[in-house]
Amino acid sequence: MSESTARKATGNGFLTDTWVNLKRWLIKTTRNPFVMVLSLLNPVIFLVLFTEVFGGIAGQAIGQAMGTETSYVVYLVPAIAVQTALIAATTSGIGLVEDIENGMFEKVLVSPMHRGAVFLGKSLSEVLRIVVQICIILTLGYGLFLLDGGGGAYVATGLLGALGIVVVGVVFAIWFAAFSNVVALVTRDQESTIIGVNLLQFPLLFLSSAFLPVEVLPGWVQVVAAVNPITYGVDAARALMFGRDVMTVLEVTRFGGLWNTLVPALAVLVVLDVVLGAVAVRFLNRASGAEVR
Amino acid sequence: MDAIDARGVAVTYADGTEAVRDVSLDIPEGEFFGFLGANGAGKTTTIKALVTLLRPTAGEVTVNGYDVETESRAVRESIGYMAQETSIDPELTARENVRFACEAYGVPPGDRRGRIADLLELVDLADVADKPAKDYSGGMKKRLDVATALAHDPPIVFLDEPTTGLDPKARNRLWDYFRRINDQGTTVFLTTQYLEEADQLCDRISVIRDGVIVASGSPTELKSRVGGDVLEVSLDDPTDERLARARDVVLDAGGLAGDAVATTDDGLSVTSPDARRLGTDLLVALREAGFAVTGFNVRGPTLDDVFLAITDEGLDEPNGATGEDRGTDPAEASR
Repeated sequence: MSESTARKATGNGFLTDTWVNLKRWLIKTTRNPFVMVLSLLNPVIFLVLFTEVFGGIAGQAIGQAMGTETSYVVYLVPAIAVQTALIAATTSGIGLVEDIENGMFEKVLVSPMHRGAVFLGKSLSEVLRIVVQICIILTLGYGLFLLDGGGGAYVATGLLGALGIVVVGVVFAIWFAAFSNVVALVTRDQESTIIGVNLLQFPLLFLSSAFLPVEVLPGWVQVVAAVNPITYGVDAARALMFGRDVMTVLEVTRFGGLWNTLVPALAVLVVLDVVLGAVAVRFLNRASGAEVR
Repeated sequence: MDAIDARGVAVTYADGTEAVRDVSLDIPEGEFFGFLGANGAGKTTTIKALVTLLRPTAGEVTVNGYDVETESRAVRESIGYMAQETSIDPELTARENVRFACEAYGVPPGDRRGRIADLLELVDLADVADKPAKDYSGGMKKRLDVATALAHDPPIVFLDEPTTGLDPKARNRLWDYFRRINDQGTTVFLTTQYLEEADQLCDRISVIRDGVIVASGSPTELKSRVGGDVLEVSLDDPTDERLARARDVVLDAGGLAGDAVATTDDGLSVTSPDARRLGTDLLVALREAGFAVTGFNVRGPTLDDVFLAITDEGLDEPNGATGEDRGTDPAEASR
């Protein structure tokens, strides 16, 4: 029989489907401001406590590595921005597990919506959240910077550089969001997903260039830091913060200035995003397909 | 055109489990169809194959004239599906849940407001429509789930054990909605293990067991297969030995064939077209033989009996309790 005679709904285009899903996840985010605040809590505590408590001692090590007159606030803010992106990325998988548990995942699968649009809409809501949260961290850092005396520039590359830090945060978050979705689809259990992705958080952060220059860390930590994605995210954000090449795990000299950090660091992150993204898409396809298993 | 047409559907899971072995269905438009079976009989697997969530290992399915494999999107646009587990977003309000469903199915923006209001009215959630769904009771969540499944006014609705776990009042309320949408011309495919539910709602029933349909027909046709009314008698001190003796008394007094009288946990169950007429004689005979009758009840055969007759070859097994442990027969309460 022909399409025109059977009564049925009309469905939407890809963009409308994306928007419909984005909207649902945005409503869910605003419905739970508590979660938004809670997920910022760790980064904020780190930012305030580390700068206030370790600022003096760390200043020496940083002075050695970065040159004199470097505020620990300025040094730390890029790391906290990446930490914020990391935590936000973990919630991606948690949201997916919630959807599986409350039946919305299946409900969406049985609807005529485009599968890709369903996941794109959800991911965009997470990107938006990361943007907002990094902006909050940057603003808070500026407050601490002023409190600290405020000598020199906060973000050496200006507003455009600050924007760049937000972009770095998003590019950084993708691989970990993809990872948390894979964990979610493997465990299909909220608690396991939360524990699984959170367990990684602290080792990843501390065994990187996040809190201290890699040069002052013990040898084995330096080795780990060199292969730790956090190092690349933090170095990229930090290069924008200081307006110069800050990367020490890779020596790149062909681009000049801060690009010697930014280009290789982003390249590493993008490769990571593509690889883990592809794995996550495979898992999502499997989970949303109709194949009998 | 049939609303649902399935030919030789089989679903075998990767571990070798043959959940559905050979199911053929042919459900005309506007029918209220019941798919009856115990837990694990293959009801949910079948329904998932019909709504495009599971690709059958073998067989062909068209829904609303569209092939579930090659035209899955058109099938999805044609159906409403209510999963066995309540499926709503608890963080959204009822209104937002229904709106999301409207948007997902492309209900035109101009129609949405009215449609959402109508649906919330239909399931009696209009007065709590702006509260988050997580605060709702189980019954309210189920009703909201119904509303979201109907958002796009689908011509065919699939309901997978929609009343499992609900109290009788909430269940009756859902039955009302289902009858109403069926009255409006919607084809309804309902799975249930509540036999009374299929009897109450459905035009036609198929009984599935171990992935195969073992019987089909109208509730009346299926009931006629049991062989008449049922007289249930409870006796004082129902030991096995006493019950066997009581059974002999009844067989003798009623002139009944052996398979007409079965022993139950606390007495006897007599199945006969003459059960109503014989009732008094049998009770008197029991008392004269020294048995104290503590309760009795004559009822028409329910689907419980049909179910047992078909799936357990129950008529040959006199020890089969007639639906007592299921508690779905309202007559049970009067004993």
